[in-house]
Amino acid sequence: MERITIDPITRLEGHGKIEIFLNEEGDVKNAYLQIPELRGFEQFSIGRPAEEMPRITNRICGVCPEAHHMAATKALDALFDIDPAPVVKKLRELFYSAFYVTDHTVHFYALGGPDFVLGPDSNPAERNILGVIHKVGVDIGIQVIECRKRNHEVIKMLGGRGVHPVAGLPGGWSKSLTKEERDTILDFSQKNIDFALFSLKIFDDIVLANQAYVDLIVSDAFTHKTYYMGTVDDKNQINFYDGLIRVVGPEGKELVKYPSKDYAQHIAERVEPWSYLKFPYLKDVGWNGFVDGVDSGVYCATPLSRLNAADGMATPKAQEHYERFYETLGSQKTAGLYAPVHHRLATHWARLVELLYAAERMQELANDPEILDPNVRPIVTNTPTEGVGSVEAPRGTLTHHYKTDENGILTDVNLIVGTTNNNAPIAMSIKKAAEGLIKGGVVSEGLLNTIEMAFRNYDPCMSCATHSLPGQMPLEVQIKDAEGNLIGTQSQYID
Amino acid sequence: MNRESFLGAGYLFIMDKKTLIIGLGNPILTDDGVGVKVALELEKQINLEAHPELTITEASAGGLRLMESLLGYERVILIDAFYLNPESSTPGTIHHLSLDDLRSVSPTQHSTSAHDTSLVTALDAAEKMGYQIPGEFSIYAVEVENILEFSETPTPAVAKAIPIVVAQILEEFSFTIR
Repeated sequence: MERITIDPITRLEGHGKIEIFLNEEGDVKNAYLQIPELRGFEQFSIGRPAEEMPRITNRICGVCPEAHHMAATKALDALFDIDPAPVVKKLRELFYSAFYVTDHTVHFYALGGPDFVLGPDSNPAERNILGVIHKVGVDIGIQVIECRKRNHEVIKMLGGRGVHPVAGLPGGWSKSLTKEERDTILDFSQKNIDFALFSLKIFDDIVLANQAYVDLIVSDAFTHKTYYMGTVDDKNQINFYDGLIRVVGPEGKELVKYPSKDYAQHIAERVEPWSYLKFPYLKDVGWNGFVDGVDSGVYCATPLSRLNAADGMATPKAQEHYERFYETLGSQKTAGLYAPVHHRLATHWARLVELLYAAERMQELANDPEILDPNVRPIVTNTPTEGVGSVEAPRGTLTHHYKTDENGILTDVNLIVGTTNNNAPIAMSIKKAAEGLIKGGVVSEGLLNTIEMAFRNYDPCMSCATHSLPGQMPLEVQIKDAEGNLIGTQSQYID
Repeated sequence: MNRESFLGAGYLFIMDKKTLIIGLGNPILTDDGVGVKVALELEKQINLEAHPELTITEASAGGLRLMESLLGYERVILIDAFYLNPESSTPGTIHHLSLDDLRSVSPTQHSTSAHDTSLVTALDAAEKMGYQIPGEFSIYAVEVENILEFSETPTPAVAKAIPIVVAQILEEFSFTIR
C-alpha cells in the first residue's frame, strides 16, 4: 500500500465524520466524509491457499458477505482457468438473487425509506424501521421480516450457512439442488415478486404521489452528472452475477465495456493528502477533481448507475418499471434508449426496480430444468497463476484480484469494494448538500438531515463506523473556517 | 486462534431452542472477534450433552439480521466487542449489561450497523409486529483496542479477558463442563 503524508493541520480522521471547510466568505469550500479504513488485508491473505478466499473474504464485512463470497469464487474460476458448468453459474446466480432481495429490502425499509415515509424533517430518533411500521402499519413490518426470513432460508439452503456462506469452489459449487428445495424456492420467488411489486406501490403512494417529495428528488441539490458503471449481459441488460463492465457518460454514451480482468486498464485510484480513502476514477477520462461532467473521470456505481449503464432489464416486470422510472423522471428517449437520470435520490426507486428484477430472476432460474443437474463439483487441474472476479454488489461493482505461486499460495491480493467506487461521488453529494445550507457562515436548519439523505442513497458500507454510538449510523459534522478553526459541530445519533 | 480453527468456525450446534449463546464479531479483525472467540471456547468447555437446551453460535451481524437469529429463544447470552473512546478506554475491561443498559448507554460494536438498524430498534420492531422476543438478555461486552487491522490474534489485554469472560458465563449459568 502506498504510504501518504498527512498534513497535521488538514489531517482528518474519525468514524462517519464529516468535515466542512468554509472559505473567506463563509461559504462551503470543501466537504469531506471520513470513514475508517480497515488495514492489512493483503498481508493477512498472502501465504494462504487461494481457495480459502471465498470463506475469508466473506468475513471482511458483516453487511454483504455473499457479495465477497461470490467475487472471490469467480476470481478462483479465473485463477484456476476453469469455466463453470451452466448449473454452477445458475446455482450461484440463484443464491445471489436471494441475497439481493434481502439486502435491497433492508435498505429501503430500514434506511432509505424512513427519509420519505416519515419525511426529511422528521425527528431522527423516529426515522427508522420502527417509525416506518408506526406510519404504514404493522402488516408491512411483518412482510419485511417474512421476506428476509424466507430469503435467508434460500441463502442457507444454497450457500451452506445463513450468514457467512461456504459453498463457492473453483469452477464449482459445493452442493446441488434437490427437487424439493427447488419447489420451495419457486414458491418463495413468487412471494418475492409480489413483495417487490408491493414495495414499488408503496413508493408510488408515499413518494411519487407527494409533489414535495418529487420536487426534492429532481432538485438540483441532489443532482450530479457523472459517468455510471454497471455489469451488463450480451444484450446490455443488467446482470448482478456476470457479464461485462459497462461505463456510460453523463449523456448516456458508452465510454467503454470491458471484462473485469481488464479493470486496471480502466480504473485508477486517486490519493488525496487529506484522506486515507482512495478515490477511483476512469483512466480513459482522467482525474479532474471532484466535479461533474463529461471531462471528469468521476463515476458512480449504485442501483441508479446500473440502470443508467444498461439498456434495460432482463425480466418483463422489471423492464416495465424501468421504463416507468425513466418516463416519470423526464428522461429523453433516443433511438429506443433512455438518457441517464442524474437525480441521486432516485437511487431509492432504482433499488426497488432492482429488487423486482432479482425476484423475477430467481423465479426464472428456479424454473430452469438445468438447475437440478447434480454435477456441480468439477476437478480442477490447471496450475493457478492470476485471476480476477467481479460481481455487482448492492453498493457497486466489487472486484477481487489474486495472484498465486504454482501451488496456489497467494502472493498478491487486491480488492476494490462496492462503496469505494463511490467515494468521490459521495464527497461531491455531501458538499453540494452543505453548499445549499451554509451561506456566509450561517448554517440553516436541517443541515444534518439533508447531508444524511445526500449520502444515504449510496448505501455506503461503513459497518465499522458505528462504534459505541446509538441508533443508526452516527453522524457528526464539523464546520471549520478558512483558517481551519472549528466554528461549529452538529451531530445526531450521538448521545 | 490459528487458521485451521478459524476455518472450522462454521459450526452450528442446535439441540433445543431455549438458550442461545451468540458470539459476535469479525474473527479476522484483531480484537473485533473477541465475542466469537469466547463462543468457540465455551463450545469446547461446556458439556453439550448435559445441556440439550443450549445453542452456541457466532455471527458478524447486527441489527435486523442479529434480531432475526435471536427469535425463538427464551434466553440470549450475547458476547461482543465494546469500542470506546481510546482516551478513556481500558482494553480488556469486561462489562456485564442488560438489554436496558444497551438501550440507555452506548451499544456494543455489533449491535449497530450502518447498513442496518440497531439491535434495540430491531427488537422493538419485532415486538411491535407480534414476534416473541427473548425474555432474558445477558450481554458481555469486552473493551477492545484494535478493530481496524486484519489479524486472527487479539491484542494482549483482550486475549487475557477471553478466559475470564468464559469463566464468568460458566459460573453465571452453572453450565456443566466436559
